[in-house]
Amino acid sequence: MSATPAATAELRAQRAPFDRALLLVVPATAFMLALFIYPFVYGLILSFEPPQGGWLANYQKFFTTDNLWTTIGKTLNLALPATIINVGIALPIAYKMRVRSRWQRFVTTLLVVPITLGTVLIAEGMLTYFGPKGWLAQFLQLTHIYEGSIRLTHNYWGVLISLVISGFPFAFLLILSYVTGIDPVLARAAATLGADSKAQFRHIYLPLLAPGLAMCFCLAFVQAFSVFPSAVLLGAPAGPTRVISIAAYEAAFEQYDYSLASAIAMIMGFVQLVIVAFVLSLRNWFYKGPVTGGKG
Amino acid sequence: MKHDFKELKLDRVTRRFAGSGGHVFNALSELTLTIRRGEFIALLGPSGCGKSTALNCIAGLLPLSGGTIRLDDERIDPLPPERRGFGMVFQNYALFPHMSVVKNIGFGLRMQGVAAAEIAPRVAKAMRLVQLSGQEHKLPGQLSGGQQQRVAIARAIVIEPPLILMDEPLSNLDAKLRLETRAEIRRIHRELDRATVYVTHDQDEALSLADRIVVMKDGVVQQIAAPSEVYAQPSNLHVARFMGYRNVLHLTVREERGDRVLLEGPDVKLTGVRKQPLAGSRASVAIRPEELTIATGPAAENIVTGRVDNVEYGGRDSLIDIVTPGGARLHLRGPTDVALGANVHVYVPPERVLVYPYDGSED
Repeated sequence: MSATPAATAELRAQRAPFDRALLLVVPATAFMLALFIYPFVYGLILSFEPPQGGWLANYQKFFTTDNLWTTIGKTLNLALPATIINVGIALPIAYKMRVRSRWQRFVTTLLVVPITLGTVLIAEGMLTYFGPKGWLAQFLQLTHIYEGSIRLTHNYWGVLISLVISGFPFAFLLILSYVTGIDPVLARAAATLGADSKAQFRHIYLPLLAPGLAMCFCLAFVQAFSVFPSAVLLGAPAGPTRVISIAAYEAAFEQYDYSLASAIAMIMGFVQLVIVAFVLSLRNWFYKGPVTGGKG
Repeated sequence: MKHDFKELKLDRVTRRFAGSGGHVFNALSELTLTIRRGEFIALLGPSGCGKSTALNCIAGLLPLSGGTIRLDDERIDPLPPERRGFGMVFQNYALFPHMSVVKNIGFGLRMQGVAAAEIAPRVAKAMRLVQLSGQEHKLPGQLSGGQQQRVAIARAIVIEPPLILMDEPLSNLDAKLRLETRAEIRRIHRELDRATVYVTHDQDEALSLADRIVVMKDGVVQQIAAPSEVYAQPSNLHVARFMGYRNVLHLTVREERGDRVLLEGPDVKLTGVRKQPLAGSRASVAIRPEELTIATGPAAENIVTGRVDNVEYGGRDSLIDIVTPGGARLHLRGPTDVALGANVHVYVPPERVLVYPYDGSED
């Protein structure tokens, strides 16, 4: 039995029509495919095609060569403390800055300025300021506050300080947006129920911020883990700041072994993935819904 | 923190805000009020009249610009909100979205350091009082608006505060739920036997709930009186308008005899009762729609003649607009069979024509 034309038309009308706005996704999808998915897959395949040895030779080489596998630990040793410091300092400052005041704008601007400076510029400035003959050392020795030798560049500390300077504004801005998104009436309600400002932070703000903090931690960590220019300019690239990106750079552009470099890049990505997946899994312990106190 | 008290005394409580361009304005001017234990006080007024400011000042959420607040003999206005111990119900409920219903209700007790073993039975009792049993482990987002409001009330009363502050708690509920919750609030107030300060812009809510109503305008108290008095004897034209005196006519004073005043307009002649001292030859009269009746007998005292201009059917009666030959419009309630365009005489008893000084507005 065939349907009448009217009924067919009605059925067609009931089906959701194709939304042409979906076409707007096409450029972004093409971009992702061409500049992310394809290079990633290409690199992954390349990492299993070493010039000599079996398909796992690059990975075997990485995990058996002393100046390669140790780069994971050295990079984590920089990235994790830098991330914890950035998130840890940004949280209380953003919390204080949540209330609109005369100073809020000024302080926020001041804190965000380093975002506009590149890592190389920060490194240049730090070499002048923190170096053995830099302003800081001269000032401390002149005022006899500290007489010993001060080395804050060309070592671990130089890179860590640089990561904090460049990473802090991101963490701060991100957390500030989470903090200001929490309805302030919740804190007022907590106050009328006997919670002082410390208790308001602990019981209201912190649990509601936790998912955002986890997200901020992940972004700050990924940024710090891929450290490269400051590790070279401010660190000891042959020693304690020989990070994983340096190993990949050397393999690619000094030994011209793209296959090994790809394998190192894959390992780098995997380590980031493990940390990010772990931190994001912690989010499941917390409430993730809207952060308002009800209707209104 | 006290759980019991005799009275809360507000003495010339004032709150100023800096407006745009450095201009300072009084959101609340010299509010003086004594709230006794067991009383239900409604702060009533249009939005921006300072009623919520007054509530926030009592709660400690806004510091005072002047005046004092005393709970019995103790001065409490310098104390932060967490040390005043007043329960507060917010307009948008302000439930903690990450805590279950029991955690929300028990929050105040945990903050006071009450032992865990004692918290559970007290929370259960508060939940029974607001009829919420069975919802213990839901998150606020999983509750309906009415249920969220009950959680907010339970959370405020479980700490056994001397005073419960409510900031337009029913304004987000639908009409049916609003009536039900209103009755609940009155019942809970009676059972707790503490004091409640209730902010609203709805005169029906204030009339039905309160023992005393504080009518406010532009931060200034207009009248503090029992509901029946605010309803029948508004202290000034503003209160009269706000309490539903929809008919306001501006007339010329012809004669004053005691508190009786004879007034005249182009085609209106009315005798009324003076409520405030009059100044000048003009005065304003206020009349409720339900106090005007369609007269059947011959024209006599306090009769206004006009043409029926609009009839809104209201079931038991109709809301009728009549327009006098001079263009004055009167609203009244009358029989449902009145015909549009008919000429009618309406009567109002002189004691229900309230006469106030002319306020300069011609509406």
